[in-house]
Amino acid sequence: MYKEKMHEMSIALNMLDIVSEQCRRADCTEIESIHVKIGKASGVLCDALLFAFDAAKQDSIAKNAFLHIEEVPVTGFCSDCDKDFAVEEQYILSCPLCQGTAFKITGGRELDIIDIEAV
Amino acid sequence: MKVKIITKILEANDRIALQNRNIFDENGIFVINLMSAPGAGKTSLLEQTIRKSSGMNIGIIEGDIAGSDDAERIERLDIPVVQINTGGACHLDANMINEVIRDLPLDTLGIVFIENVGNLVCPAEFKVGEDIKVMLLSITEGHDKPLKYPLMFQESSALILNKIDLAPYTDVDIEKIKKDSLSLNPALRIFEISCRTGQGIQNWVDWLKRLPQK
Repeated sequence: MYKEKMHEMSIALNMLDIVSEQCRRADCTEIESIHVKIGKASGVLCDALLFAFDAAKQDSIAKNAFLHIEEVPVTGFCSDCDKDFAVEEQYILSCPLCQGTAFKITGGRELDIIDIEAV
Repeated sequence: MKVKIITKILEANDRIALQNRNIFDENGIFVINLMSAPGAGKTSLLEQTIRKSSGMNIGIIEGDIAGSDDAERIERLDIPVVQINTGGACHLDANMINEVIRDLPLDTLGIVFIENVGNLVCPAEFKVGEDIKVMLLSITEGHDKPLKYPLMFQESSALILNKIDLAPYTDVDIEKIKKDSLSLNPALRIFEISCRTGQGIQNWVDWLKRLPQK
């Protein structure tokens, strides 16, 4: 199905399929902007996604669309210290607050399309 | 105007993966998505597994960027195998599996290995319809890999450390690999094997035999 070398290109093409379909369903003919949330631990590099999207959008109804990427930090909840936390890293081995290990990761794996502006 | 979407970008892939999973489930087949870097020994592991697998009905889907060398190696062992060439893509996706799933004799199989394209990054992102992911790491790749490629280790149910026979000739810290992997994924089952000497293969096969399959 897909013949590209970067997995960000697969992601960009999947994204383009979804937004194009939604644009048509809303009886619009052009997408002006796309708002996505990309988790820091999602395995997707935002720069590579932007690059892939710019290549993929040519000749589509999103050809002039601006891709707004909201990067989502890795967040978690630690039941040792009973607190929520957010970290800069892609992964953690212990709670950054109390160094306990009884934590659950609650965010940072997102690869979501939030909305589009279309006319 | 603003059009609310709120959908996962990989929603289409995940949906097809679920269809694949249903087809496998209907046939009582347990599916393992086998992932590693290039050259870690995925095909060698499958060959060794097949040799010790009496009583198991194995089928294999081979994913490679190009070529059919791996499928030919498996075919020589009289095991049903299908080759997928991704033509450049660095991972298998659910649709690629969907296209070949019926080429396997599903009613005769109990377990299917999907040998993913050699890569430590994106195969972990794309579900293909598997029950579990298993990761193979050859110890010569170095003890820094769990912390460099955390997603792969977090997503896998089992980690197989291959080329363990080379340990005396390297400076690799195997205990660190195990410790870091378990920190990322406390439920990870770890096997130490050598496809060349056969060391540890039986433990792995015994574990496979306990997985639900017809």
